[in-house]
Amino acid sequence: MTVQREQPPAGRPASPGREPLVRITGVKKHFPITQGIIFQREVGRVHAVDGVDLEVYPGETLGVVGETGCGKSTLARLMCRLLPVTTGTVEFEGQDITNLKGNALRLLRREIQMIFQDPYSSLNPRKRVGAIIGDPFDIHGIADGADRKKRVQELMETVGLNPEHYNRFPAEFSGGQRQRIGVARALALRPKLIICDEPVSALDVSIQAQVINLLEDLQEEFHLTYVFIAHDLSVVRHVSDRVAVMYLGKVVELADSRRLYAEPKHPYSGALLSAVPLPDPDRVGQRQRVILLGDVPSPIDPPSGCRFHPRCPKAQERCVHEEPPLERKASGDLAACHFPLEPGEDLAKARPGIEQEPEASTPTAGAG
Amino acid sequence: MHLPPAAGGWWEVGMALLEVRDLRVHFDTDDGVVKAVDGVNFSLDPGQTLGIVGESGSGKSVTNMAIMGLARGGRVSGEVLFEGRDLLKLHTSELRAIRGKKIAMIFQDPLSSLHPFYKVGDQISEMILAHEKVSKKQARNRSIELLRLVGIPKPERRVDDYPHQFSGGMRQRAMIAMALSLDPAVLIADEPTTALDVTVQAQVLDLIERLQQEFGTAIVMITHDLGVVADIADNVLVMYAGKPVEVADRRTAYYGPHMPYTWGLLQSLPSSGAEHTGERLLPIKGLPPSLIHLPRGCSFHPRCPYVFERCTREEPELLPADPNQPDHLSACHLSLEDKQRIWQQEVVTTR
Repeated sequence: MTVQREQPPAGRPASPGREPLVRITGVKKHFPITQGIIFQREVGRVHAVDGVDLEVYPGETLGVVGETGCGKSTLARLMCRLLPVTTGTVEFEGQDITNLKGNALRLLRREIQMIFQDPYSSLNPRKRVGAIIGDPFDIHGIADGADRKKRVQELMETVGLNPEHYNRFPAEFSGGQRQRIGVARALALRPKLIICDEPVSALDVSIQAQVINLLEDLQEEFHLTYVFIAHDLSVVRHVSDRVAVMYLGKVVELADSRRLYAEPKHPYSGALLSAVPLPDPDRVGQRQRVILLGDVPSPIDPPSGCRFHPRCPKAQERCVHEEPPLERKASGDLAACHFPLEPGEDLAKARPGIEQEPEASTPTAGAG
Repeated sequence: MHLPPAAGGWWEVGMALLEVRDLRVHFDTDDGVVKAVDGVNFSLDPGQTLGIVGESGSGKSVTNMAIMGLARGGRVSGEVLFEGRDLLKLHTSELRAIRGKKIAMIFQDPLSSLHPFYKVGDQISEMILAHEKVSKKQARNRSIELLRLVGIPKPERRVDDYPHQFSGGMRQRAMIAMALSLDPAVLIADEPTTALDVTVQAQVLDLIERLQQEFGTAIVMITHDLGVVADIADNVLVMYAGKPVEVADRRTAYYGPHMPYTWGLLQSLPSSGAEHTGERLLPIKGLPPSLIHLPRGCSFHPRCPYVFERCTREEPELLPADPNQPDHLSACHLSLEDKQRIWQQEVVTTR
């Protein structure tokens, strides 16, 4: 069956009349680094998320990709208010939820749920599956007793678990089945938004496909909106309508997923895509792989100007001093780059116009 | 004139560098015998890369632990011939001389395979000192050279760092430096890039390939990522429930495999073309079987969409299905015509 989803526009201004479900504006999250025992002096800050504007529209799947430490999981936790923001605002259905507390926050939690990466550590091993999935009903006072059990068993059936396994412990299930338990728990309160933080990374390919299909079916059935975080770019492309690429706490490109994969604008997106191993030996041979030099710099003291400039194959003098804003490029997608990639440009042949840091330079292979 | 058959050394024509014959590893547990590895055969020539693919629990790691004599608690049988000697019959002290020096290993998680209390350089030197008569100073210099070789910046300074001061990619590079420190003939890499980001994975795979070209090391690459295998393997061995179910060269494995499990693995990946993807993925239905109570007949039959009566009764042998391709082995009862028809009509069209 082919499900063609409505394609929402890639950026903000071109979306008249469509109210975003979630809108985050200028959101920053800094984690302080302290020293001292009694007087905790702040000696630095980890700029985990550093100024992100993003909108999520109802019914869409927004993919978020980036390397470890780019702030994608922190962003997800800010979106569902599991972490307080340092500055900026988070709106849900037009309501400012940045500083919600107490009961109002609890009511919000019914609307936004989360599915976690590790199906082993995200389920309490001492609780039975029925209790794990049914807990949201208790916490929110929605159903108890026989009604609760009935609802839980319905949920288990919805996600493809045998309802007779109501009294089993998580240890009695396989990884894929556990992830289904996590999905059922997220679904229990009929949320509008589900944030999936690497939901299939821990699963084998054949099982991964089962869980992705399940998530897609549920999206259709319950009109869900997903924010889908993953480092597997082929999975993100498969599920997402739009994709945000993050680097060191910032969104560097936000584009329609089809266009992003066909013609990435930001050199980082281009390098990221070219690094994905393809299960297709002939195409692997044809493709020029762009190997990024060095590691992601520390988010405690991010580089000046464009944060990608120490590793960027297209970096110029301007990139060192001037930070590029996330702006609309010719294709209509957003990218934060002074020298975006042209269609058909070969990033592997690009050479930087500035001296890049020694940390990021290629070593000379001469030993052995 | 007829030459007598070659006898003796591994270097003679027809003898592989590493040859595994009918390797079995069984573990006795309270619930029964776990047949983690049940009859694996493969051979590896110098400079070649063999990719072993399979899901969790298919026996890929245990196979290689057994080769290194590290399958503790298991009953190991079969033969592992390396340079003409059966590693399974060697004494621990003899094995120790081979481990690390002749056959080195890279593990999946670079954080847990480096000791957190010792400096990275000392850990590499330890490896060199254990096998060669060199001074500490020389070993240290070798460590620095090796770190430089694998692309660690400022190696003369980083050699005194502790593992926690390295990033994930750098740790894996340090592991590779350690594995290559004695110029081994065989390198066993057990999911070396699974814990890494795609960009770092590309760096590490590139490094492994470059070093292979330079030193002619034979590599056994264990992975569940079909993309990684397509990238670097010469030959592919697909394992399911402890048994090899398909052996083929890289192109055949991706463009004409014979075994429904291999088809299923390829189908369950999101399509790699630029076109979107409103289409559904095609997962393999069901779950991998318990290794204690394997299904009768072909162990894949409960999940196989093309199962027929014979599959439930009789276990298929790993044989060439196509007489024109004697090196392409598969364990499946389907006839060659059926295999080719299903692959062309039902599998290729969905990718």
